[in-house]
Amino acid sequence: MSSLVIILWILNVLFDTIGQIAFKYAAINPRNRDGWHYWSDLFRNYWLWIGIVSYIAEFLLWLAFLTLVPLSQGILIGSFNIITIMIMGRLLFKELLTKYRIIGMLFITAGVICVGVS
Amino acid sequence: MRKFYLIGFALLLLFDTIGQTSFKLTAKHAEPLAASLDWLIRVFTSPLVYVAISAYICTFFTWMILLKKAPVGPAFAASHLEIVTVMFVSIWVFNEHITLIRFIGAALIIIGIIFLAIAEKNIHQQQTKIESK
Repeated sequence: MSSLVIILWILNVLFDTIGQIAFKYAAINPRNRDGWHYWSDLFRNYWLWIGIVSYIAEFLLWLAFLTLVPLSQGILIGSFNIITIMIMGRLLFKELLTKYRIIGMLFITAGVICVGVS
Repeated sequence: MRKFYLIGFALLLLFDTIGQTSFKLTAKHAEPLAASLDWLIRVFTSPLVYVAISAYICTFFTWMILLKKAPVGPAFAASHLEIVTVMFVSIWVFNEHITLIRFIGAALIIIGIIFLAIAEKNIHQQQTKIESK
């Protein structure tokens, strides 16, 4: 893989992770959960907008990435975002890292390495 | 109820697969890749980019409806198993060749996703146990 492909892959995973974390912050932030107030709180929350901007960036980065790699390879190594989101969930939201989660992460990492070097 | 899940998961996979296929077709349409306004114009004048965006919106709403009712383990797996259907489409539509090492990689990733789905199910069960005490 060329270095441009690797840079695009890292940026894709990065913006996807930022987007997911921003959406999580936006979702847990509104204190008022009743109907209209929930939505107006949500849309005034800057995390929501960080999430939306990250997703637009990711959209273009994904298109650029898919121009350079076959779809079957792209979709497989793109699934690495599962790992980064889980690690950030652990660090930021104190989510559990159970035995099964760690085994799952190791399998996915091994798989991404196989597909990446092929 | 079984029918609800089957149709829901099938739609989720279908929309996701259509989305990724349209992404690849849009990327091809907009070639050559360049960090320029011309590239962006080529992207947004491709009709397929709007298919991709619509498929993503449909995936999002299907996911939201499913998530309200579906068991968390299978739902987690289903939301990532589009890699399987997308691989079939890659072979079929784009004549991509799946090498042995890539196939092994795909199998490892799928095993990993299944383990994560089991983990989600276990964590969910523990939480409901704590809440009911």
